[in-house]
This record gives sequence, C-alpha cells and structure tokens, in this order.
Amino acid sequence: MADLLAVTGLRAGYGRAVVLSDVTFRLEAGEAMAVLGRNGVGKTTLIDSIVGVTRRFDGSITLAGRELAPLSPEERAGLGLGWVPQERNIFRSLTVEENLTAVARPGAWTVDRIYGVFPRLKERRGNMGGALSGGEQQMLAIGRALATNPRLLLLDEPTEGLAPIIVEELLSALVRLLRAEGMAALIVEQHAHKILPITRRALILERGRIVHQGASAELLADASLLERFLGVTRR
Amino acid sequence: MPSATLLGQALISGVLAGGMYGLLAMGLSLSWGLLRLVNLSHFALAFLSAYIVYELGTKYGVAPWWSAAMVVPVMFGVGAAQYWLFDRFHVNELASLLITFSFAVIVEAGIQIYWTADYRRFETHYSTLSFKVGPFFVPVLELVLCVVASVLAWGTWMWLRKTYVGKGLRAAAEDADIAAAYGVDHRKLAYLLSGIGAAYAGIAGTFIALIATLAPAQIWAWLGVVFAVVIIGRLGNPLGALLAGMLIGASESLAMAVLSPAWAPVVSFSVLIVILLWDPEWL
Amino acid sequence: MIERKGAWRRRRILAGMMTGAAALAAPSILRAAPSGKPVRVGGTLSLTGFLAQTAAIHKIAAEIMVDEINGRNGFLGRPVEYVLLDDQSKPEVARSLYEKLITVDKVDLIQGPYATAPILAAMGVAQRYGKVMIQSSMGIPKLQTYDRAFPATPFGPEPEKTYPNVILDAMASLPNPPKTIVVLSSKFPSAQFMAQGMRDQAEKRGVKVTLYLEYESGNRDFGAIAARVKEANADFLWVGSLGLESNQLLEALHKLDYKPKNHFHLYPAPGPLALSPDGDKALCSTFLEPSEPFLSRPGVRRIAGEFKERATKANLPYAIIDAQAAGMVSEWQILEAAVNGANSLDDKAIADWLKKHRVETIYGSLRFDGPYNHGGAAQLIKQVQDKEWKVVWPKEFAAPGVSLLGA
Repeated sequence: MADLLAVTGLRAGYGRAVVLSDVTFRLEAGEAMAVLGRNGVGKTTLIDSIVGVTRRFDGSITLAGRELAPLSPEERAGLGLGWVPQERNIFRSLTVEENLTAVARPGAWTVDRIYGVFPRLKERRGNMGGALSGGEQQMLAIGRALATNPRLLLLDEPTEGLAPIIVEELLSALVRLLRAEGMAALIVEQHAHKILPITRRALILERGRIVHQGASAELLADASLLERFLGVTRR
Repeated sequence: MPSATLLGQALISGVLAGGMYGLLAMGLSLSWGLLRLVNLSHFALAFLSAYIVYELGTKYGVAPWWSAAMVVPVMFGVGAAQYWLFDRFHVNELASLLITFSFAVIVEAGIQIYWTADYRRFETHYSTLSFKVGPFFVPVLELVLCVVASVLAWGTWMWLRKTYVGKGLRAAAEDADIAAAYGVDHRKLAYLLSGIGAAYAGIAGTFIALIATLAPAQIWAWLGVVFAVVIIGRLGNPLGALLAGMLIGASESLAMAVLSPAWAPVVSFSVLIVILLWDPEWL
Repeated sequence: MIERKGAWRRRRILAGMMTGAAALAAPSILRAAPSGKPVRVGGTLSLTGFLAQTAAIHKIAAEIMVDEINGRNGFLGRPVEYVLLDDQSKPEVARSLYEKLITVDKVDLIQGPYATAPILAAMGVAQRYGKVMIQSSMGIPKLQTYDRAFPATPFGPEPEKTYPNVILDAMASLPNPPKTIVVLSSKFPSAQFMAQGMRDQAEKRGVKVTLYLEYESGNRDFGAIAARVKEANADFLWVGSLGLESNQLLEALHKLDYKPKNHFHLYPAPGPLALSPDGDKALCSTFLEPSEPFLSRPGVRRIAGEFKERATKANLPYAIIDAQAAGMVSEWQILEAAVNGANSLDDKAIADWLKKHRVETIYGSLRFDGPYNHGGAAQLIKQVQDKEWKVVWPKEFAAPGVSLLGA
C-alpha cells in the first residue's frame, strides 16, 4: 500500500532556531500513529511543519505523493490535512455549527455524521464557540477538522487539560473514528498509556530526533523503553 | 413639556436620519470588523459618489438611480483595488487608519479642485416630498433610504451567517492563520468584502447627493457619529450598525426636541459610553 | 449673451478710458507703470476646510484687486505681490502662518484672513509685530482691540444692537408687523452673538420671543428643530445660520409641510438660498449688491464684471459679486488708499493716516475713528424675490419698483 504521508530528512523550526533534525517516517492510509516524547522535544513542531506554519530548512513532506513544501497552509488544507491544534483555536465568535460549516468541504463527513460521533456538539449547535467547555471545544476542534473531509487528521495533545471523565468520552470517540471509520491520524500525546492502545504504530521524539519507531502494542509492553524515553513507569 | 406631535415627529425624523448613519456605518463596520482595516476613506468614497451622482444629474440630467447603477460597481472596483494595496504592503489596523485618512484627504482635494469648495445641492422635485400619517409627516426620500439600508443590512447579515463565504470571512476575521489552515482563502474573500464595503459607500453617496448638501469638507462631518454607530452596533455586524444608527438618530432628534438642539452631538457619544459601560447581554 | 458680453466690453473700455483720464490728471509719478522690487503683502485664506466655500470668493476678489492696483500705480510706484497661504480654516494654523509671513517671508504688509476666529488669531501676531491688519469679516467688533486693526466692512461698533434694529424697523414697516419671533442660531460665535442681540432687541421692542434655540454648527439633521419651529409657528423666523444650514432648515420645514412666514438668515450661502424653491422671500443682511445704486459707485461695475468672468472660469456656481467678495475688495481699496495717502509702507504711518481719513470703497465712504476703529453702521436688508437677491431696506437703497414683501 502506498504511503499517505512520507516525511524524509525533515529539518525545521521557527525563525533561526532548528527544532527538528533528520525526521523520517511513513504513515499508511487508514493508519493511526502516536507521536510521543517529553515536553519540548518537537512534537508540536512536527505537526506544525506538516500543516505549514513553521520554517522548513531541509527535507521533504509528501501527502499522497504530493510535495507539500512549496504550498501555503490553505493549499495543504485543500489536499486533505485536518489539523486539530493544541490550543484548539476554535472560532469563538461563530456558533458550533458555523465552526463546522465555515470550513466544510464536500465529502463523506457531513455535519450530521460529525454530530453522530460527538452528540454533545449537536446539543450545543447554536451556542457560540466561546461559550463551550474545554472538552466541548476539543470535540469541536476535531469535528471542524473532520468537516474538511481530510485524508489525514493531525491531533496535537487532544486530551491535555481535560477532566478525566471528558478524556474518556473523547478517547472513545477517537477509537470510533480510527477503528470504525478508518481515519488516518497522527496523534501527539504526553500520556503514552492512553494513546498507545488506540494507535497501530508509535514514534518517540527526543531533542528533535526520532529515537524509536515501532508497533504501539510492542511499545506498550516494553516498560524499559517507556521508562527510558518518556519517564513513565507502569501503574 | 413638548407636545406628543412634536415628540412623534422628532422620533420619525430621527429614526429616518439614523438610517443614513447606519448605511454609512455598514461598510465601515464590515471592513473594520472582518478585515481589521479602519477605512476612513469610506466617507470620501461616499462623497465622491455623491458628487458624481450630482454631476451626472445636474449636467446631463441622469436620474440618480441610473447614476447609482454606474457608480456602485465602480466603487466596488475601487474597494477591491484598495484591498490590493493593503495586502501588497501588509497594512495593519493602525496603519490602515493613517493610509485611508491620507486617501480621504487626497479625494477631498480632488473634489475641491474639480467641484470647488462651494456648496453644491442636487435639487430634485422629490427632495422635499413627504406624506402624512395621522398628525405626522414622513419624508419620502429618507424613508426610501431606510428601506434600502434595511434590505442591505439584513441581506448582508444573512450572507455573513448563511453562506460559506460569509462564515469564512468571520472565521478569518477572528484568526486568519487558523482559518487558512482549514482552507479558507482569506484574501479572495477580503477582495470581495472590501469591494462590497465600498459599493455601500456608493449607495450611501447616492442618497447623500439627494438629501444632504455637498461640500468637500463635509466628508468629515459624519465621522464622529458614524464611528460611534459602528462601535455600538458591534464591529462586523451590519444589522447592528443599522439599528445603532437608528438608535443614535432617534436619541439625537429627541434631545433636540426636548432639550436643546445643541445637545445633539453630545448624545451620540453619551449613548456610546453608556452602552460600553452597561454592556448589555443582547448586544 | 454675445450682446451682453459686448456691453461689458464697451463698459470696460469706457472705464479704462476714464481711469486713463484720471491718471492723466494726476501727478506724473502715478502715471508710470509700477516698477522695481515688489511690495509683498502676505495673508491667509481658508482655501481648504469648512470655510473654503467663501475663501474661493475672497481669493478671486483679492486677485482682481491686486491686478487693478498694479494696473494703476502699485504701492508707491512698486508692483504689489500677494503672498497667499492656506490656513485650512484653523485659527492655530492662521496664527503660525502669519508668524511665518512676517518673520520668515518678511512681507512688507499683511492682509487679514476670513472669519472671526482666524482673524483673532492673526490679530495677536499682527499686534506683536506692530503690523497694520485690515479685515472684512469679524462679526464681533468689540473683540477688535488692537489699535492697528481696521474693519473693511461697515458693521459699526455695536452691530448686536444696530443690526437687529434695522431688521425690526423693516419688519415694522410691513402692513402686518410680526408680534412673535423665533430666534434660532448656530453656536458659531459670531452667529450666537447676533442671535442674542436679536433676542434682546426684539423683547425691548415688544416682539415676543416664543422660542430661542441654539444648535451646534455643523448640525446634520434639522428634522427635530424644524418640528419645534413649526410648533412655535411665530410671525417671524430669525435664523443665525451659516452656509447651507438655512437651506437644510427650510427643506426640513418643507417636509413638515410648513412654510415660515417672514424669515431672516444671517450668513447663508447666498446663491443656493436664492435658488432654492423654499428660499422665496428669505431676508438677509447685506452691505452691497450687484445692482443700482451700488453699481454706480466708482469702479464697482468694472470689478463686478471682472469678478463674474473669473468666478465663472473658476467654476463657482454663483458668479455674481456680493457682500462677501466686496469685503475683500474693500480691504485692498483701504490698504491702497492708506499706503498712497501716508506715502509710506510703515505700519505706524499707515495706521495714523487711516484714523484721520475717510476712504472711498466699494461699500461707500468709510471712516475709522469710532470705537474699535469702526465708523458708522451701514447694514442693508435684501430679500429673495423671483430667485434673486434684491435690496429692499432702507427704502432709499431699493431699486426702483422693488419693496419689502411680507408674508
């Protein structure tokens, strides 16, 4: 099967600062991949580089074989990147439904189908984005990315700062998305134990470099590896 | 205590006069709220349109609606061209104020050179037409203006709410980078909106030609009150601009009828301050 | 049209011949064309900003006069050069420009700006440097406290008293003299000043003031004011208006289906008010109109013809000389007479000469020996009749067959 996303020898950062060095990995269609690592190792920079809001020094990023480097963020979005930024950045002055329809592109993901994944959004469809709780904002951010009918979802710390009960609700929705709907996704997470069970593969970043790539299930089972790179011990 | 007839009459003429505030405020509010450009030249474009309508009407006998049919598309082009400049030179909110101010001064000077500083009045047989409702007189031209302004305000409001373009504009106004990352081509939409704002100046100008007296310096006469209207009506909200315009018009007029006409200019800013402090839920 | 132009040309040739004859009779120095280093006369006008309408008129009048003076003897045999700057209708700009004219440009003489506020600003500078300043449009004579400032328009020292009384005299001559009056005024200082005078004098003479209202200058909507005027429904409406405010008010009244009975306007834009469908029988003060007997004053016909030509060329919609333009003409006539009379460009000598002598101007014979350097008041009243301004009061200034029309 052809690669959906191929990152090769990527060196990128902000301004003059290089954050990522020699990042190379592949993601197949329908595949979910976890991006793990401690704080400040370049996980968000990786997502931002794919979206096109960082400075690329070297290397290439292709989506379904198309080189993204010369393209603007709008053009990349048009090729099928569905970004869920860390800050969520939903449009606060638009209603929930307007947040979805403002960016919607024709495809399988209709507003009703998104409401099917996140029933809470349907309940609050008429509310302003700014009036939502953190968890609802996160759902809306994911829903908004889905509304663009992307080939690849880029989720940046989707569970950060949310109450445990909301995290559970969100993760079960994600499982549905990835497993049942077969959505390809790159998911940045701090909490390996939450994300590894729902992804197929994982990579670990340290100081801007990939230090481990492999199947999520194997990583989850390898306590020493988790301990070494993430400082996580088995609960 | 003033009579009920006086109060009612003052209210009618105030609300109708407020329609002009609203119409002028609309274009300004759209570009300020959705493009983050404070376009002071909006007033200059409105007066330039008014002068053109006046010129066509008095020199060649062209009816104002035909003049408007010509002027409004031209203004749309001017607005789009203005956006090209703003975009080309990466103009921000504050710089836009200065640049459009200079643009307005240039237009004012141009008007003064061509039409001189003398007062101009486009006399039409319908300019003082009015009809009677009970004890009140309703001026026809102002009523037409209010109807046009209402249709435009409501139409624009719906357009911003219901269409892909409108929602994209609002999303981009809030966060252009994020909107871009979701495929909203902010620039293309901005050209459209800038053109629409200027086209509204053309429509306002047509009515200014028919209702007001023209003098180059009059460009600045509406500035203060229209700014108050834009802010009360909330940036980027055409319906709010119209309603705020009517609110200010009515308040000014009632102040003139009940207190002294000299209070009128104080009213718009007092209403603005009260509303800013009160910050009611429904706004 | 061609015939009239021909007539004008004949008159101008005639006038030229008469001037020539006068020059022949004069001492030989007057006959030589002016030569040598020009005498520079500096001044500002509000070429832009809200007073720009009238400045356009003044500029033309001044240019005509400079040409006239240079066609004669200039100032003391030297050509006159008018250094004109734009004060943007702002007193503070006028102040600094006069400072510049006197200290940087080093002009020999100055000429006043237009309107009370810029005049006051310029007067302060003139006083500091001891320059003579002649002005034509300061409506509040008692503010002219500088002893080398001279009025070119015969307001008289107390127009707030004389002015209303001329109007009330005219009204009293009507078959149905008004018993009630509405006084409405812009808060523009000189208008307010006259409005208060009007109210006081009306009350003194037993005309009841049923409504006294002031509105902000630059008022946009006259709907509510019109509703109040209509409700008061007085016999006489006195409006302390500037520019087109009168037209706006009358239109607003028209929309309420109300026609004021007798109505007076203080400083309206004369052309638009005369031409307005609502301007019929409007009254206004004046000092001169382009008709008899004024045209018979020396030079007036020629200047009026020249004004019409240049104003038409400059695309002014109302190209007939009136009291506005005449004020500027008078300023230059006074300066010319004083320079030549004192035989000096020295400001003190010029001022001293003016205080002792009368000057024949477009406004008639003016003197400067009264309070605030003012002479007698010479207000007249004109009225719109058949879309034209006609002097109707005092009766001796009315053209044959013209009289004041009441409501």
